[in-house]
Amino acid sequence: MSNQIVFDNVSKFYGDVLGVNRVILSIPPGITSLVGPNGSGKTTLMNLMTGLIRPSRGHIRIFDMTPDQPERLFRVVGYCSQFDALPKGLSGYQFVYSYLMLFGYDATTCDELTWRAIDLVGLREAAHRKAAAYSKGMRQRIRLAQSLAHNPRVLILDEPLNGLDPLVRAETIALFRSLAKQGCHVLLSSHVLHEVDIISDQVILMSGGYVIAEGNIQAVRSEIQDQPMQILIRCDRPSELASRVFREDHVVEVRVHNDRRGLLIKTSKPDRFYLLMNKIALDGIRIESVAPIDDDVNSVYEYLIGTEEVTR
Amino acid sequence: MKELWWKQVRAVIHLEMNKTFFAKRGLWIYLLALAPVALFLAHTLIEIHSQGVRHQMSQKTSRPLTEQDFSSIHSGMTRDQVVKLLGEPPTSHMGARRVQTGPHSFDQNPFEIMRYSDGRSELIVSLEKGAVSGVSISSGTSLGEDTYIFAGVFQFFFLRLAIFFGCLGIFMNLFRGEMLDKSLHFYLLAPVRREVLLVGKYLAGWLAATVIFTTSVALQLIALLSLYDSNVIATYLYQNHGWSQVIAYLGVTILACIGYGSIFLAAGLLFRNPIVPAVLVLIWEAANPILPALLKKFSMIYYLRSLCPVEIPVDPGMPPLLALLISNTEPISAYIAVFGLLTVSVLILAGSMRRVCRLEINYTTE
Repeated sequence: MSNQIVFDNVSKFYGDVLGVNRVILSIPPGITSLVGPNGSGKTTLMNLMTGLIRPSRGHIRIFDMTPDQPERLFRVVGYCSQFDALPKGLSGYQFVYSYLMLFGYDATTCDELTWRAIDLVGLREAAHRKAAAYSKGMRQRIRLAQSLAHNPRVLILDEPLNGLDPLVRAETIALFRSLAKQGCHVLLSSHVLHEVDIISDQVILMSGGYVIAEGNIQAVRSEIQDQPMQILIRCDRPSELASRVFREDHVVEVRVHNDRRGLLIKTSKPDRFYLLMNKIALDGIRIESVAPIDDDVNSVYEYLIGTEEVTR
Repeated sequence: MKELWWKQVRAVIHLEMNKTFFAKRGLWIYLLALAPVALFLAHTLIEIHSQGVRHQMSQKTSRPLTEQDFSSIHSGMTRDQVVKLLGEPPTSHMGARRVQTGPHSFDQNPFEIMRYSDGRSELIVSLEKGAVSGVSISSGTSLGEDTYIFAGVFQFFFLRLAIFFGCLGIFMNLFRGEMLDKSLHFYLLAPVRREVLLVGKYLAGWLAATVIFTTSVALQLIALLSLYDSNVIATYLYQNHGWSQVIAYLGVTILACIGYGSIFLAAGLLFRNPIVPAVLVLIWEAANPILPALLKKFSMIYYLRSLCPVEIPVDPGMPPLLALLISNTEPISAYIAVFGLLTVSVLILAGSMRRVCRLEINYTTE
C-alpha cells in the first residue's frame, strides 16, 4: 500500500474561474506546507483531497483511497478547514464527541478520545462551555481537536495557526512535529513564512492555481538558477577573501559585512563556489562559517512569487 | 457493515433531533401544529358554556320540556297559546322596532323573543304584535356533525397547510440550513457514506415531524371529544368506527410526513430559497384534481385524500372549483394509496441520494 498522497494532473474550475490547474504532486509523510498568496489554490487543493469539491479533471489518491470513499478515507484523514462556523448549541466537548459518534464508536471510546483531543489542544477548562461563546483562537483549537480526535494518519490543516496566541502557537507547532515524527502526513497551509520555515519538511509553492515548486526548501532554492545564491562567510581576513573570490566569473557581487568580520557573496554557481572555498581554506584564510542566507521559504517565495499577501 | 451504517444513522438522528426539536427558528412549526388544537379547544369551551346556559334555562321552566313540545310551536300562534303549551319563558327579551309607515311617519312595532330549553336544544320564538312570527330550534353540536368539521379542518388546513409547511420548515433545513450555517462540512468530513447521512437526516426529520403532528392530531381529537359524555365517546369509538377513524387520521399524518418530507428534503438540496419549491409544490398539489391521470400519481395529496376516513359532503350550491377540491372523484384503495405514496417517496429519496453524493461544499455561493 502506498504511503503517498498523489495528485495526478488535477484541475478544478469553478465555472470559468480557475481553482487549480494541472497539479501533479506526490506528498510523502512529514510536515508539508502549502504556501501561496490568497487565491493561489491552497484551500482548493485541500478541499479536493477531502472530497468537499470534485476535480474537473484528473485523479487524487490518498494511500489507496479516493476522496469519494468517505467511509474509508476519513478513518485515516482529519481535516481542520478554514470555515470558522461550528454547529449551533453544542459545547466544545459535545462538538468533538458528536463527530466521533459518527465513526460508530461506543460511548466510552468517544468520551476517552474526546478528552484526549481536548487535552492535546489545552481546552479542558472550557470544554463544557458553549462553543459559540469561544474566542477565535479557542474555536480554532476545538476544530483542531475535532480533526485529530480519531488519530488520523493524514492531518490536513488550513491556516491552523490563525488566531492562536504565541504560547499556544508554539505548543501547536510542537504537536504537529510530534505527529510527523510518528509517521503522519501533516499538510498545512500558512501565510506566516518564518513559521513554515521552522515547521516544514517540504513545501509546495503555489501561485494562480499552479504548483510552481515543491520539495525540500534547499532543493527548491538550488533549482532557481536565475537568482544568484547569497552566501555569508565568516572569516578573519574578509578584504583579502573579497579580492580573491571576485576574480571568479560566477561571483556576481561581493560586499564586506557591516561588522567587518565577514563577506556577503552572490554567486550564480554555488557548487563551484564551494570548491573554491575549499582551496581558499587550504591557502591559510581562517574560515569560521559558510552559510547560504537565501535558501529559506521567504527568499524562495520572493524569487518565485513575489511578496504579495505574505507575512514575514 | 450494516451494523455500522445503523449506528451511524442513529448518531445522525441523535445529532439532528436536538436541532430539530429545540431550534428557535422551528417555533412557528409548533404554532402551526397547535393551531387546530386551539380551534377545537375553543369550540369545546364555547359549547360547554352554551350547554350550561341551556341547562340553567331548562331548570327554570314550569315543567320539563321535550323536542316534541318545541315542534308544536309554529308561526301565527298567539303568545298565550305558546305559554299555555310551554309555560312562561325562562328568558325573554322585549323591545320595539321602528317601522316607516309613510314618507315622514314612523310607528313603533313591539316584539318579544322568548327562549326555552330542554337542557340540550334551544327554542327561540319571535313574537310581533302578540303573534309568533318566527321559530328556530338550535340543537347544540352532535358528535356526528363534529366528525365532519374535524374531517374538513384535517383535510383543508392540517394536511394541506400545517403538515405541508411544517415539513417544509423541518426537511428543507436538514441540508440547506447547515449550508447557510456553514457547518455541513463537519458531516461530510466524517467516515459516513453520504447515502447513510441522507437516510439519517431524513429519519430524524420524519421522527420530529411525526411526533409534532401526530401529537397535534391526538390533542385535536381529545379537545373535540372532551365535549361529550363518556357514553357518547364509547359509542363513537367502539360502535361507529371511531377507533378506525382515529388510527386512519394518525396514519395519514405519518404518511404525509413521509411524503412531504421526501419532497422538501430533495428541495433543500436543489433550491436555495424555500419559497420557490413551496409555491411550486403547493400549486402542483392544489391542481391535482385537474391533472392528467398519470401526473396525478406524482402528487402526495392524490394518495392522502383516499386515505382520509371521512368524506366531506359536497353542498349542491357550492362553486364547481371548490366542489372539485373537496370531492374525491377517483378514490383508490388504501393499499394502493399507501404503496403509491411510499413508492413516490422512495423515488424522490433515491434522486436526493444521487444529488447528495455529488454535493460540493462552496459556502461562498450560498
